[in-house]
Amino acid sequence: MMDVNGKHRRQILRGLGASALTATALSGAPSRFTAHAADTSNYQALVCVFLFGGLDHNEVLIPYDTASYRRFRTLRSSLIIEQGESRQRERLLPITMQQNSVLQGRQMAMPPELPALKALFDRGDLAIVGNVGPLLEPVTRQRFERSAARLPPRLFSHNDQQSTWQASAPEGAQFGWGGLFADAVLATGANQRQPQFTTIASNEVGPFLTGRQVVPYRVGVKGAARVHLLDDYYDGFAEERAESLAAIRAQLAAQRFSGEHVLEQDLARAFAAAFDTNEAYDRARQAGDPLTTEFPQGPLGQQLHAVAETINVREQLFANKQVFFVGLGGFDTHSAQAENLPRLLEEVDGAMAAFYRAMTELELQEQVTLFTASDFGRTLAVNGDGTDHGWGGHHLVLGGAVKGGEIYGAMPPTELGHDADCGSGRLIPTMAVEQYAAELGRWFGLSQTELTNALPNLSRFDALKRTFL
Amino acid sequence: MRLVIVTFAFVLGHSAAAVGLSDPRSQTPYSCSGSRPVPSAFETTASTSRFLTQATFGPTKAAVGDLTGGSASRWFVQQLQEPASLNVPQVEGYMAMLEDPTQDFQTLTIQATTLSFWRNAIEADDQLRQRMAFALSQILVVSNFRGEVLTDIPEGVAYFQDILTEQAFGNYRDLLETVTYSPAMGDYLTYMGNQKADPETGRMPDENYARELLQLFTIGPVALQPDGQPLLDANNRPIEIYDNTDITGLARVFTGLDLKGLNRDQFPALDNIISLGTGLEKSFLQPMAITEALHSTAPKQFLSCAIPARTKAAPSIAKALDCIIEQPNVGPFVSRQLIQRLTTSAPEPGYVLRVSKAFNAGRFVLPDGTKVGEGRKGDLAATVAAILFDPEARCATALADRKFGKIREPVLRFTHWARAFDVDASHPQYAPDLYDLIQPDSLAQHPYRSKSVFNFYRPGYIAPGTRSGALGLTVPELQIVDATTTPAYINFIALWAYGGPLMFGDERYEELALAGVPVDTDTLEESFIPNYSQELDLAGNVEALVDHLDALLLYGSMSDATKSSIGATLIEATEFEPEEPQTAYERVALAVLLVMTSPDYLVQR
Repeated sequence: MMDVNGKHRRQILRGLGASALTATALSGAPSRFTAHAADTSNYQALVCVFLFGGLDHNEVLIPYDTASYRRFRTLRSSLIIEQGESRQRERLLPITMQQNSVLQGRQMAMPPELPALKALFDRGDLAIVGNVGPLLEPVTRQRFERSAARLPPRLFSHNDQQSTWQASAPEGAQFGWGGLFADAVLATGANQRQPQFTTIASNEVGPFLTGRQVVPYRVGVKGAARVHLLDDYYDGFAEERAESLAAIRAQLAAQRFSGEHVLEQDLARAFAAAFDTNEAYDRARQAGDPLTTEFPQGPLGQQLHAVAETINVREQLFANKQVFFVGLGGFDTHSAQAENLPRLLEEVDGAMAAFYRAMTELELQEQVTLFTASDFGRTLAVNGDGTDHGWGGHHLVLGGAVKGGEIYGAMPPTELGHDADCGSGRLIPTMAVEQYAAELGRWFGLSQTELTNALPNLSRFDALKRTFL
Repeated sequence: MRLVIVTFAFVLGHSAAAVGLSDPRSQTPYSCSGSRPVPSAFETTASTSRFLTQATFGPTKAAVGDLTGGSASRWFVQQLQEPASLNVPQVEGYMAMLEDPTQDFQTLTIQATTLSFWRNAIEADDQLRQRMAFALSQILVVSNFRGEVLTDIPEGVAYFQDILTEQAFGNYRDLLETVTYSPAMGDYLTYMGNQKADPETGRMPDENYARELLQLFTIGPVALQPDGQPLLDANNRPIEIYDNTDITGLARVFTGLDLKGLNRDQFPALDNIISLGTGLEKSFLQPMAITEALHSTAPKQFLSCAIPARTKAAPSIAKALDCIIEQPNVGPFVSRQLIQRLTTSAPEPGYVLRVSKAFNAGRFVLPDGTKVGEGRKGDLAATVAAILFDPEARCATALADRKFGKIREPVLRFTHWARAFDVDASHPQYAPDLYDLIQPDSLAQHPYRSKSVFNFYRPGYIAPGTRSGALGLTVPELQIVDATTTPAYINFIALWAYGGPLMFGDERYEELALAGVPVDTDTLEESFIPNYSQELDLAGNVEALVDHLDALLLYGSMSDATKSSIGATLIEATEFEPEEPQTAYERVALAVLLVMTSPDYLVQR
């Protein structure tokens, strides 16, 4: 048998299977960039935490006054039994507010899985926004039942409502409001040196971060993905082989591609962009000292850690304004909700709280606002051991700029058959996603015109009576 | 212009075939450009290789050699008759290797269905069947991604894999029924153990399966024309064909089904238990059982269907599926997705229409006159024949078309490599690098391990900010191309191209032993090692090497510019010394890598 195990190839292969990556950047010294850092003193970032599957808002805010709680227990008896102690009234974390008019005398509590978020609420850094969901115009139950209301297409469908939350239209939508917000800030001169880092996702993202100008950069939780072959090829011979490496890189990055096929062109552009952005991102990351804040090991914690480290090197990325997207799946609790949802809520609690600590470490807590989104809320009625797809749901907004410690919007009663119930406790939203988004966009510096450009239905709604930012 | 050609070809295609031609080369069953005769699918090595790329897990050197000059129709018919290579026996074999089957989270348990998939995809003779099953698995999605029951009990997914494999050429209506009763789907879409409504507590039937059965498996949310284009209302808007009342009506049908032999008093929620060692895994190898007392007795109304009150479970399910399969959307909805899995991402409406007609008629006539299909709506043999033998897929004009084709799925790129270089895939358990490719820092695709019922990518995905997006083309696979998966794919394919497993002999032995995988050292060393004997002979001639790989891996469709660019890179980056065999190996490995990462290769045209 021929010798295919030469030392040379052994070195190549060490790299190919490498789990521990070498830290050698392809080119460029970090200091070169820090010396020319952009003015990022007015830095701002929005961070979308998308809870895929449809968050059961009924378990984020739980009725606490005796009468409402008792009714909730009855309506959800089969779930509550399985949940055991964690849904006993004395284990819940009741919230108190300065202005309690939203609850009309009722009391609400957060579940015991959300202690850190409860503490942030108490400190005034977290706001709860009640019953948010996609709307084209205000909808009443009467008009819904008479089929007289204009409704967002394909309600209750996961992919379509994810898309509608992100981009005001069902699956197939091209531009999301995160991307359109980013377009607007680019147009005012932000991020000029490296606009490719304006929208960043550390999860699979739908249309949310795509604008007419921007497309999202996808960052791995461990930083930019590397091509091992280029890191380790001819290990120890890097300098004399620089031209070889450059040739391989150029080929892999499809730099010389000249084909006519549309899909091939798209792939060539994607490959080239992947190389360029990963390398630029890597250089930036290596120029900054890592944060000391520790993050939980779960997927959401790791993604928010990657976002925090990216914000940490905003100067090296020449970023003034950024929009981020992270996500956590598993919220489609048709079944085994009692087992699965508390685990997910714990993860959300730990990850969001760690992110807020990291922003405090950077002294950026006033300049970074995180908010939740989800396909939809869920039914109040149970199907045995889970809940089904709903429409409106409650959401969380976190940051130093947030007028926290309050519930905004409306909080329909935990009951069936009320004015916002379109069946089985599916909530007709009382605040449109676009109203919620507009509030975030206004804080991000967008003008009313820029907001209506990004949010096509916004003009059909009144301005919010109480603003949470 | 283009549309006219297609329409003409359609007419010719069917009328010519119907008269029953026998010699694939003497007469042409389809026309690509009016009068010009069209070659048989197997006329040249390139056309054979291209057909096999669309119809199998990748052309092998041997298959291209054997089939070229023969009849594609005959091959197709033989493939229909080829016995199914199954998963359950393999999975049971892996489970028998476990020292303690009651222990959870063992490598072989978690990976058993993955391993049987790789082995069948790469080595099985029933290639068309296996490829069709994989296509169906991306419409009728179940997944062991979540690390719950379907992970602990691989028999569930294995049985499901075998349903798709055995019924790959069956009838879609019948397949839906088998799927409905399958424990894997019952668990995945949470209707296993689903009960009728309880007015006292307000409990409702679980709506999950009812919704996805309509939205993803059969009709989709909006009305379609027979060619798959959305039907529009007077205001040019798509027409939604059901609302939530249809879902709640249909949800009543899927009540009363549960795992056979499961005692719900003992295990109220199956998700809470690891049923290993209880014998329950055997129940995952058979249809779910009906408990009539838990089945809804209310009337079940949805779409245009009405099932009277007090209809029992089995007739309710049968009537519901009978009614759903008759919906006009089913043909174009399913046909278009199968086309996307095999030949092109954004099919011309005429192509969808022709395939949909074969689906609806349950009949297709092959170029040699052989009739395929049983004549009943939903016939999948007729459907896949219509996809592969359509002029749109076969004509040389498609190769020149800037929009025809699809991005090769990452999983298919790997099987393609493995088959082209004749690797030994008999022991996929020896390849930990194949255990889990679903994560975004890997390929974001893994058989039967989608992150959700929405598959790895959506059939309607139009990539924002791209040229295809600007043209409004649906390109599902672009949904998993980003700055993370791109380097990950390069790393992944480089590992195999360079003969990676050869280098990890000792380390891998220890790794596998630690994971509880019994190892035979000799087989381990041969596993997944490419046979580069032909390629090594060409290492001294870069141009010939690239031409050879172009022919082998992309049926000669690589552009001259890419070929010369790869050639120049090989000369710059590798040195060939005839006296030093490893220099030839390095050059070949880099050549395979550069070809398999080129846009020319990555798009199957």
